[in-house]
Amino acid sequence: MAAWDLSVKVEDLGPDAPPVTISVASDLHVGGVILKLVEKTQMQRNWSDHALWWDQKQRWLLRTAWTLEKYGIHADARLLFMPQHKPLKLGLPSGKTVMLKACFSNPVFQTVMGICRMLNIRHPEELSLLRPVEEKKKKKDKDLTEEIYDLTEVPLSSVSRPCLYNGMPAHFADSEQMEGVYKMLSVTQPPPAPEVIAKQYRPASVVDKSHIHGRWLDSSRCLMQQGIQENDRLWLRFKYYSFYDIEPKYDVVRLTQLYEQARWAILLEDIDCTEEEMMLFGALQYHINKVALSEPQMMSSNAALDDLESALQSLEVKMEGDSSSASDLLENMTAPELNDYLKIFRPKRLTLKGYKQYWFKFQDTSISYFKSKEESIGEPIQQINLKGCEVAPDVNVAAQKFLIRLLIPAPEGMNEVYLRCENEQQYAQWMAGCRLASKGKSLADSSFQSEIQSIRSFLAMQKTNSGSSNNSAASDESINTHSLVSPRYHKKYKPKQLTPRILDAYQNVAQLSLTDALMRFLQIWQALPDFGLSYVVVRFKGSRKDEVLGIAPNRLIRIDLGVGDVVKTWRYNNMKQWNVNWDIKQMAIEFEGNVNIAFGCVTADCKIVHEFIGGYIFMSTRSREKSDTLNEELFHKLTGGHEAL
Amino acid sequence: MDDIDAMFSDLLGEMDLLTQSLGQETEPPEPLPSTRQEINFSVGFTGLNASLHDLEDNDLDALMADLVADLSETEKKLEAEIQGLNAPPSSSSDLPPPPKGLGVQPASSITSPPSPGNNRSSSVTTPSSSTSSPLPPPQSSKPTMEEIEAQMKADKIKLALEKLKEAKVKKLVVKVVMNDGSSKTLMVDERQTVREVLDNLFEKTHCDCNVDWSLCETNHELQLERTFEDHENLVEPLLAWTRDSENKVLFQERKDKFEVFKNPQNFYLWKKDKKTLKDMKDKDKELLVQENFCGTSIIVPDLEGVLHLKEDGKKSWKQRLFQLRASGIYYVPKGKTKSSRDLICFVQFDNVNVYYGKDVKNRYKAPTDFCFVLKHPQIQKESQYIKYLCCDDAWTMNLWVTGIRIAKYGASLHENFKTAERKAAVSAAVWTNRSTPSSSSPSTPSPTIRAKTATQANGHAPKPQPGPPHQGIGNLPAPPPLNEILPPPPPDPILPPPPPSLASKPPLSNFPPPPLSMDGLPPPPPPPPMDNFSEDPPDFLPPPPPPTSYSSLPPPPPAPAANFGGNINKSLPPPPPNPEFLPPPPPDPVFVASGAPPPPPPPPPPAAVSAPRPAAQQKKMPPAPPKRTTPTLQGGGGGGGDFMSELMSAMRKRTDQ
Repeated sequence: MAAWDLSVKVEDLGPDAPPVTISVASDLHVGGVILKLVEKTQMQRNWSDHALWWDQKQRWLLRTAWTLEKYGIHADARLLFMPQHKPLKLGLPSGKTVMLKACFSNPVFQTVMGICRMLNIRHPEELSLLRPVEEKKKKKDKDLTEEIYDLTEVPLSSVSRPCLYNGMPAHFADSEQMEGVYKMLSVTQPPPAPEVIAKQYRPASVVDKSHIHGRWLDSSRCLMQQGIQENDRLWLRFKYYSFYDIEPKYDVVRLTQLYEQARWAILLEDIDCTEEEMMLFGALQYHINKVALSEPQMMSSNAALDDLESALQSLEVKMEGDSSSASDLLENMTAPELNDYLKIFRPKRLTLKGYKQYWFKFQDTSISYFKSKEESIGEPIQQINLKGCEVAPDVNVAAQKFLIRLLIPAPEGMNEVYLRCENEQQYAQWMAGCRLASKGKSLADSSFQSEIQSIRSFLAMQKTNSGSSNNSAASDESINTHSLVSPRYHKKYKPKQLTPRILDAYQNVAQLSLTDALMRFLQIWQALPDFGLSYVVVRFKGSRKDEVLGIAPNRLIRIDLGVGDVVKTWRYNNMKQWNVNWDIKQMAIEFEGNVNIAFGCVTADCKIVHEFIGGYIFMSTRSREKSDTLNEELFHKLTGGHEAL
Repeated sequence: MDDIDAMFSDLLGEMDLLTQSLGQETEPPEPLPSTRQEINFSVGFTGLNASLHDLEDNDLDALMADLVADLSETEKKLEAEIQGLNAPPSSSSDLPPPPKGLGVQPASSITSPPSPGNNRSSSVTTPSSSTSSPLPPPQSSKPTMEEIEAQMKADKIKLALEKLKEAKVKKLVVKVVMNDGSSKTLMVDERQTVREVLDNLFEKTHCDCNVDWSLCETNHELQLERTFEDHENLVEPLLAWTRDSENKVLFQERKDKFEVFKNPQNFYLWKKDKKTLKDMKDKDKELLVQENFCGTSIIVPDLEGVLHLKEDGKKSWKQRLFQLRASGIYYVPKGKTKSSRDLICFVQFDNVNVYYGKDVKNRYKAPTDFCFVLKHPQIQKESQYIKYLCCDDAWTMNLWVTGIRIAKYGASLHENFKTAERKAAVSAAVWTNRSTPSSSSPSTPSPTIRAKTATQANGHAPKPQPGPPHQGIGNLPAPPPLNEILPPPPPDPILPPPPPSLASKPPLSNFPPPPLSMDGLPPPPPPPPMDNFSEDPPDFLPPPPPPTSYSSLPPPPPAPAANFGGNINKSLPPPPPNPEFLPPPPPDPVFVASGAPPPPPPPPPPAAVSAPRPAAQQKKMPPAPPKRTTPTLQGGGGGGGDFMSELMSAMRKRTDQ
């Protein structure tokens, strides 16, 4: 067969180097071409990751046994010889950036699997890559200073068969620097400064949100084919809101990043919530940050230590149990005493009388008061049982106002009682006592001291927060409450006003462990009505106006743009089939009961919509599979579209 | 020693408290029909005495049984614990048998209750055993003190502490109104969940145990009603009732209780047309339950609609657009959009319960009668803090109430349903041998235990009492609990050392003769081992007695109330009925079938028990069934004493008459 010249650009020779020309015949297979190329370059290196990229056709020549003829390559082909794995800047849900080598030759689905393996995130099928929203270029300097965590040195071979070392993949154990990267991945970030939140792009409407979903990469094609270049920046995000089998023990990074994504969704109002819910989210963030700081070792979990730890814990519990009858009970009997002069006021009853001072005594879940300390041995003037009552703070540190508002249930209704404390110390103790009592716990409860602590730290926040924000959230006392809520509330409330509201919500979560707090955050997030909706602007067949299609884990919803109302809901389990007409970019879906819908996609490619639907259907099949292995083939079948054929 | 004495006197003080609280909180059991009508009491008693005196005999009996059972349980547990602590080697062997008692007890007034130990304890017995039954009769108490070792002292302290803790456990005697208008009286302690009480009621009635059976609370004054959730504790809400309250606890089938799990589409897809909902396939229903209850987060049906609201004590009703979210109920303020951030929080669920309102049209001029109410559980009277919401139809009301329950109770609801389903399935398959998940497995004699027993056995082993019923029992695997049930006061007689080896299982049968007899009363009828037996099983390991055993039992005295029959049979020894008391009804075969074979659940309703026994003997109660399934502590231990003596005197009085 006749030989002809094929010129190939070899990336390793540098961008300006001329192409290498080799003499080939059409029946030479790709492997042979590569061999000749390598010989010709005379370079000693590991070429195993390299492959040929055919520029005009935008495809990799990965089948080394195929001949040039079979690929249809002629002398005019522009070929590039380069590594399949290239560095990529990856924005994580936490907002941090890592640089790592990702596969540019496999479908994105597999690329993501590789990335997740490297980062130690289970269930990579739930994540995907998307093009970032362009940042406003004003702050160029800031971009430069952004810290990038470098993972490019991780040998690819070690990633392919991850083994755990100290609970983290072995490649993170190589150096302190790598351990630092793992810590960044697995520990929640401190609350961002309010300006940072304010500066971020926030979608203002459903249509805005729908634009974001036009940015998802096609998971059945490779990065090169989608115009992604070496060192480009992409976002790694959870795409399918169907989180399978979260196991805190193995999912340290996954859980952390999921929390980060949820937190930012809340802070940026990507998902709407009510004010009460926002306060609870704020309280949880505060708590998570506090606990993460105090027990960071928990997060860099390491299997061996974990076991040891849990063993120790259970031992502790056992011992507690054993001794419970004696020491515990003794302790119970020696519950901390709390009595002092306080002022009481009953707003509804004797309005004219104002605050009166009495000697107060805390007993169990009740407070009693007496005329004076001396008379405290006798019958109290009144005893108030606080169990089931509502406790609200009314505090102004600057004005030295420390008021506890109690709403005490009684058969006749709720009685309002205010207790006025003299100072911070007194207030923290009584407030803590009241809070515990309202939950039916006595002062002997182990949480009494920590409750006092948290009340004091919130008071401290009120003191320091009057100024603008402090960027460093080094100590939990100095958190600016504006860091915990979306910008809408920055305008609505001053940090000082926000503090008591968050503290109020905080009392219900203050005792949670780090993992429980993270899980609670995710649960509340998932319970929001709009949770899990990805929006796309579409044009229904026969309709003249744009409407929004919401894609949820179990259903599709049609939203009227004018009113914002859900017009119609279709559930996947009623779906018989769906088709895509790639030529006219229209999707047609048939549901049981002869319901047919068809629409064209406006803000996103219909491949994206197709992939979303197929992806969710794939996610729902997972539970039935016992094995841990990912059924990649099925995923491609469901999401691939014509490429799958 | 002084310390110990001090400890015990403290303990006694606590007991007093307990008794008082018992008295106050007790709801008067319903008087038996035939007997005096005067007895109709209302809920609140002025004092213990009053309440006790007012109690019907049978109620007393039942109550006693419960109490004793409690005591014994506690003790058992204690002993087990103690035993664990004490090295087996304890010198126990030296110990003098039973009476060792506590020097502490000098206060004869306390007298106690009696529980000679439980089998278990006996078997296990530790030196402490004596301690364990602190309440034993005073007389015996002191002598042995000197011999007690330092360790015992420690044990005692511990015991005392434990008792103190126990003493704080609240118990209520609750009258439950059945479907047919009759009622049953139960003793419920504050650790019991509604589920446990329901199981208990299943044992006592012959219902089909389907998942719809519920306990409901009605508030007479406010005309409200709600179904207790199975995981709730029953005592707590009842404590909120006022003394003169006419509130009731009902035992009835409520379709709405678990409807959301049977037809989730009606709640989660309520916007769809009725036909689609009706034709929903089971597979799809399952999927809905999965989606909404089995994920990481519980999903609340998204309800939204215009409701009529009456709040703040105002008389008028105004309309608002409400929305249900997991975090509470919200409304859309005037002139605002429905977007989440504009919503105003109307109520969060932490501190309120949801009720159905009755007769609101008349009472409050409501636009419709389909009203649900949100209020703090402690509010019992008209108040501005009660929020009334009216829906246009019953369907909508149901949607909201169920939605609120899902938001408030979350995963617990689903758990409750699954438990109820299991329960229904089990009961459906006739109770052949119901294996009790007994936590009490220990009751079965394990070799180790025995060994220990041997040493210490003297102390408390329950003495076997020859009761007719026993035979049946004997065969049974052990119903350990009975021992505990000992009759109250008569200390010495009771104490007789139990047979060591047997102790573990058979103990029940061996009841000490009821102390009462001492009083000159007619010989007490044999304790109804059966009762205990039947009831105990759940707690205790012993396998449930085969039905056959029952047959062997002596003829059960008929229960006055048909309902109770079941229990009665088992418990009753041949009744020596007093004329005054109702003649015991002939045993119902029925009961046997249903109730007897399977070991009934824990607490026996007092009423049932009492009925059978003749007055004289009433006191001796059949061994009370241990009620709580896995009770860790039992409450009454300490307190029991006082209460017991009160009970005794009350009974005596009656008999004297």
